[in-house]
Amino acid sequence: MAFWKLFSRRRRYEDVSVSIQEHLAERAEELMEEGVPRAEAERRARREFGNVTLVEQRSREAWQWPTIESILADVRFAVRQLVKVPGFTVTAVLTLALGIAVNATMFSMVSAFLMPHIPGRDPQRVVVVSAVSPYDNFLPDTYRVSAPNYESIRADRRVFADTAAMWNEIPGSLGGKDEQPEAIQYEAVTPNYFGIFGVSPELGRGLQPGEDQPGRDHVVVISHALWARRYSSNPAIVGKSIRLNREDYTVVGVMGADFRLMLMTPQLWTPLTLTPADQTPDARRTRKLMVLARLAPGVTVQQADAEAKRLAAQAAADYPQIDGRWGASVRILKDYLVHDFHIAQAMAVMMTAVGLVLLIACANVSGLLLTRAAGRQKELAIRASLGASRWRIVRQLFLEGLTIALLGGAAGLGLTWGGVRLMRSLLTFTYAIATIPIRLDEKVLLFAMGATLLAALFSSVAPAVKASRTDLNADLRSEGRAATAGRNRNRMRAVQVGSEIAMALFLLCGTGLLTRGVYSLDHQRLGFREDHLLTAGLLLDGAKYPDGPAQARFVHDLLSRLHLIPGLEDVAVTSNMPATGAGKVPVHIDGIADPPPSEPRRTETVVVTPEFFAASGIAALRGRTFTDHDDVNAPRVAVVNQRFMQRYLGEGDAVGRRVKLEVAGTPQWDQIVGVVADVKSYSEETRVDPLVYEPFAQRPANQFSVMLRGQADPDSMIAPLRQTVAALDAELPLMDVMSMERVIDQQRNGDPVFVEILGTFAGLALLLSAIGIYGLIAYSVRQRTQEFGIRVALGANARDIAGMVLREGILVAAIGSAIGLVLALPLGRGFDAMFPGIHFSSPGIYPAVLLVMIVVAVGATLAPARRAMKVDPTAALRIE
Amino acid sequence: MPRNPDHRDLFAGALELMILHTLRLKPMHGYALAKHIKHASDQLLQIEEGSLYPALQRLMRAELLESESGVSAKGRPTRIYRLTDAGLRHLEQETSSFEKMFTGITRVLATSRPQEA
Repeated sequence: MAFWKLFSRRRRYEDVSVSIQEHLAERAEELMEEGVPRAEAERRARREFGNVTLVEQRSREAWQWPTIESILADVRFAVRQLVKVPGFTVTAVLTLALGIAVNATMFSMVSAFLMPHIPGRDPQRVVVVSAVSPYDNFLPDTYRVSAPNYESIRADRRVFADTAAMWNEIPGSLGGKDEQPEAIQYEAVTPNYFGIFGVSPELGRGLQPGEDQPGRDHVVVISHALWARRYSSNPAIVGKSIRLNREDYTVVGVMGADFRLMLMTPQLWTPLTLTPADQTPDARRTRKLMVLARLAPGVTVQQADAEAKRLAAQAAADYPQIDGRWGASVRILKDYLVHDFHIAQAMAVMMTAVGLVLLIACANVSGLLLTRAAGRQKELAIRASLGASRWRIVRQLFLEGLTIALLGGAAGLGLTWGGVRLMRSLLTFTYAIATIPIRLDEKVLLFAMGATLLAALFSSVAPAVKASRTDLNADLRSEGRAATAGRNRNRMRAVQVGSEIAMALFLLCGTGLLTRGVYSLDHQRLGFREDHLLTAGLLLDGAKYPDGPAQARFVHDLLSRLHLIPGLEDVAVTSNMPATGAGKVPVHIDGIADPPPSEPRRTETVVVTPEFFAASGIAALRGRTFTDHDDVNAPRVAVVNQRFMQRYLGEGDAVGRRVKLEVAGTPQWDQIVGVVADVKSYSEETRVDPLVYEPFAQRPANQFSVMLRGQADPDSMIAPLRQTVAALDAELPLMDVMSMERVIDQQRNGDPVFVEILGTFAGLALLLSAIGIYGLIAYSVRQRTQEFGIRVALGANARDIAGMVLREGILVAAIGSAIGLVLALPLGRGFDAMFPGIHFSSPGIYPAVLLVMIVVAVGATLAPARRAMKVDPTAALRIE
Repeated sequence: MPRNPDHRDLFAGALELMILHTLRLKPMHGYALAKHIKHASDQLLQIEEGSLYPALQRLMRAELLESESGVSAKGRPTRIYRLTDAGLRHLEQETSSFEKMFTGITRVLATSRPQEA
């Protein structure tokens, strides 16, 4: 029935027309019978009837579902109109496609980094309890918790229904014996860990109560990624034994692919074993546990936070020496992960940039539509006189804009698909970044649709309203005679282009400042030689290397064998490579009183073998560095950096003084034998912290890096290094085997990529606003052709005309630039606050950007100006 | 089109009611319908064509009328509108409620004249 109605509609519409035509004819005939001449009769019949089109339309509307049909008709009309002007359509669609694509691509990253999917049921009830460091560290409120403090949180059942602990980023070796050992990172978790999320493994089972007891703890749950990569997704792996840290573990389960938590996504999980030793006061110094809890029913995050702070205050009161100034903080797991990833600021900068690009794109399309509407003035006036209501005309123009936006959105989605793939290939610089799934998912689709609708709105509402305000008489009568036609319309376009320029300038200044800041970091002198260095990490496990002497023996053997590699110049072992951020401890200086506990005197601490200074090219400024004689039997010695000497010792008397570091074990006095040059504490920051070097032989470590300097390409030493280590210990894996340059590059953590992407956006914005200026001036020149003709006829020369055009373009550019510049002025300080440790204020950027903008504005105005110069007065005045 | 100030706007449903009543006498085409209403009301009610044709379509949509191809009095092709059974029932219902309403209005207007009180 409904279908029949739809099909029968065409007949109905004819009915109406036929009836009306007959009506008019009959009335005319009647009038003629009264003696009125035919022409006059027909005219009167029509006049009495009124607006035929409008009556027909109203009659048809009786049959239509609220106007959907008329909208469809308008869309069809819009498409027909757009097909007729392919150049205009393609330009507008591509402009919006670019704007929408950069936004959707950036949003795919926002969605992946800031809206992570948390597995399990009710993820909003899963919280992280973290310690808050009293020191001025990076993200001080994301610290791990000590085992005794974990116990007191766990006991608090009224607030935390179930609490689990996790020790993450544990380096380990997987495989060995008959297969190549592989360095992995894993997590040790309490057996209830997966239960906190309410997630069960995809295969096998999770950890069971009691499996955290020594003797029963050799079971592992492996991640989906490890299962697929190393075990070829073979389900038979469950129940099999695998080799982990030289011991046999039984695989009991495989987690699903969606069980990932950003930075906390390990390769496998083992039970976390907490012993009575973990409950002693001394264990409070070791803050290594992530604490996750499910909130008790009815408890809010704020209440939990208050409770955790109460517990921390209790611990601080009970153990003032250790927990004295430490606090606690509770966050929803999702918020914690996002906060810990520390990318929100960068994302905000990026989203602002792409948002501006989209606005500029919209302003350009809006300008194009305005130009077109001006050209269609008469068409619109005729439609209005035929009975189209103003609303109908606005709707028509809006639908044209919407059609363009929808086409742009569709094309933009195609570009987004490519953009997402590009992002995925760019963002692989660290393991953590690489594990974040960037996808074109339904969230991104929804966002793209929203951006499309906004683009439609921004780009078409102004022209539609403007164009509908037509004065019928004026528009129908005018034959384009007015000498300076469309001044008013031009003002709107000038405002648009001016704001485009302001936005582009703002974006360029921001990008310039960021690029400058990151560039100066990338090119700062770190204080050591990064080239021709191969590095690798080693972790000596407690099973084979239980104590200092065993570790020192291994390092001694390793170094003497590595010296046999041909072409190798220096080789050393260090607990921390230069410029990679070393750990800090309080330090005592013999003869100088300790500062108050509220401002402890702290220093970075590094242990190195003698050749370290030669291998890294760090020069001794006073005294000497270490030799092979500074061994375990010799008097304890230390070397400090220049900053340590300047800040804590004063000039002159560094060598010979004694320092004591508060390290684990028994702190001992070291005599300073030398002062060496400063190295930046971290390659991505500009600061240099005080640093104390100690000989590895006098304080061995189980975790360290090997640094090999050779004449050849560092990669050529990889194979000999691997063979040497394997010959010493076949089950010992090497971690992060890479050149020093690559280490630094990884520490940049994508900053150069970030700046490159941002630079692309700024370039896009500049290009779009150049097109905007060009469009504005070209249009204005076309409109003023007659005016120029008259001026030339009255004696103006080509130079005057070109000057007028250029002035118009430059005036708009200058006003836009001034506004953009004022808005951009606080950016430098804003970035300094957003990204601590980097200095962005560099005033030189502003004039440089302004110059670029003016050059571009003049360039975009030049072509239309030249056209204006060639105006032939006779031809111009003839145009009608 | 200048309007005669003596012509009031019709109230809602009045035009439909008159159309239905007129078509009850016999099926007719649009022009005849308009003329009939004009004459029957002694020129007091002048129907604007602008509202007649949309009203006809609304009544057809509600299935109170149906149309068929036919010829006008002058022999030109047009559409003849005819009352349906539903239209007839609707007309009777509306007429009675209209009469009640009209009686009501008349009485109220009568009471408001003080000299007759």
